[in-house]
Amino acid sequence: MPSVERSQELIKSLFESVINMDEDAARVISNAILNEGVDAYSAITRGLTAAMEKVGVLYANHEYFVPELLLCSDALYASLEILKPHVKIDTSAFRKKIILGTVEGDIHDIGKNLVKIMFEAAGWEVYDLGNDVRISRFVEEQKRVKADLVGLSALMSTSMLAIPKIIELLRAEDKGVMVMAGGAPLNRDIAAKYGANGYAANAGEAVQEAFRLLEAKSK
Amino acid sequence: MKVPERLEALLHGKPVDHIPFLTFTLGFCAKNVGIPVSDIYSKPEKSFLAQLWTQEQYGYDTTPFYGYASYGGAEFGGEIKMPDGQYEQAPSHGKFSVYTEEDLAKLAFPDVTKAGFIPLAMEFSLLQKKYRMPVSLVIGGTFTVAGNVCPVETLCRWLIKNPDAVHRLLRIVTDHLIAVVKYWTDTFGSGNVDVQIWEPLAANQIISPKQFEKYVFPYQKEMNEKILAGGLHSLLLHICGEQNRNLPFWAEIPMGNSGIASFGREVDIATAIQYLGNKCIIAGNIEPSFIQTASPQELYKLCRVTIEKGKQAPRGFILMPGCETPVNTPAYNMFTMVKAVKDFGKY
Repeated sequence: MPSVERSQELIKSLFESVINMDEDAARVISNAILNEGVDAYSAITRGLTAAMEKVGVLYANHEYFVPELLLCSDALYASLEILKPHVKIDTSAFRKKIILGTVEGDIHDIGKNLVKIMFEAAGWEVYDLGNDVRISRFVEEQKRVKADLVGLSALMSTSMLAIPKIIELLRAEDKGVMVMAGGAPLNRDIAAKYGANGYAANAGEAVQEAFRLLEAKSK
Repeated sequence: MKVPERLEALLHGKPVDHIPFLTFTLGFCAKNVGIPVSDIYSKPEKSFLAQLWTQEQYGYDTTPFYGYASYGGAEFGGEIKMPDGQYEQAPSHGKFSVYTEEDLAKLAFPDVTKAGFIPLAMEFSLLQKKYRMPVSLVIGGTFTVAGNVCPVETLCRWLIKNPDAVHRLLRIVTDHLIAVVKYWTDTFGSGNVDVQIWEPLAANQIISPKQFEKYVFPYQKEMNEKILAGGLHSLLLHICGEQNRNLPFWAEIPMGNSGIASFGREVDIATAIQYLGNKCIIAGNIEPSFIQTASPQELYKLCRVTIEKGKQAPRGFILMPGCETPVNTPAYNMFTMVKAVKDFGKY
């Protein structure tokens, strides 16, 4: 076992490799973490998750943009690939689940993919249905997965009309299902008008909004 | 004033009876006359007539045009899918032509007379000429077309990790776009072609102002300069999305005398005037989703506020949606926007 200081140093380096978009460094540090006996789960939560939270803030504050966010996520996934197989505790019982998809008629999935990255970094189990997802597919997946949240994305003012339809069908199966929506043509008012519980203006805000919704539901 | 007199007068700095209203309508016209939305992009004559009849019905200032935001996809050898579902409004990407550097090395300069949808666009322009309507050509901005040739996520990664690849792609795209415009001006005469350039991908929702300065500004500036040097009077640039941080650069890109800079809701009309009002006509910026979902009263009010801001533009203002008018826009909302222009658009 490394000293507390050495563990902290490695985790800080891992954190910085993600912020600095350095995929190679993320791999090297992840291997060092395993070789030196640092707990993999701790490295993921305190190094990677914390780094992506910071990336989300940088993105929301317009210090980072999509290119930076994508490269940060490359470093994240490079590290996760090494660390994940060595996580000793079973987190599946308390991990939150989200179904994500870009709605029918819409192939624009960059926003949805960025949201996916942020949820995965925050430790959520993400069921990504992809883009141009037919309406009934969301309902089928929710029946199967019983996710804590369904996230719907649309970039076109025409495709966004699928959102209220999806929410109506989801609620017909389960009145309590929580839905959040996002995408360029939407705003909080339209999302609420369509029946969504929540809305995020960008990927950086999506996870916070999700936790806010779940907290409100639990009260 | 009749169509297209009002717009022509504004473009040449002459007085207008009221501000023009350009509707940015494509799929809306198809639905209006009862044809499939895909016909707008695949059947030039049907598309032309659907737009002509819809213009006649509402009396707005848009004349029929052919264009779609994924220009460059098919032209460089990729695949484009036509809109066919209830929730679709425009052609979208099937397959891109560049996924890797090896693909980029093999990317061929398209034959501007035959590539992708260019023959359909030319057929449409011949109809414009036949019906004595302005001949137009719609193309993407250099960065948007690059993102139509190569997936945006790859392009974004290359901006940081492989700048040389981005410059190579932008070089071939820029040269192609200049060549397409030349094909139109050679066919119809340089003084007879209106060119629209749509640039959504350079928005700050995707890239930073620094990346704009490095990758968008030089190529777009070069393209506009060369097009205008070919004898075009002016250009319409649709500067789509969140572009506030890019405005100092757009202000340095030539658009002709007077060109038109059109904006989405993200750029306030007063801000647009501040940066570009002295060099071009400002157009915008009614949010399309609002046009689709708002009540006529709400829309009328927003149009009034927007028109009052726009009337401060020294070179003139055009009311316009912030992007394409949604296919499912309520008919009365279209009428409402026309009414707002007539009621509030006089100087």
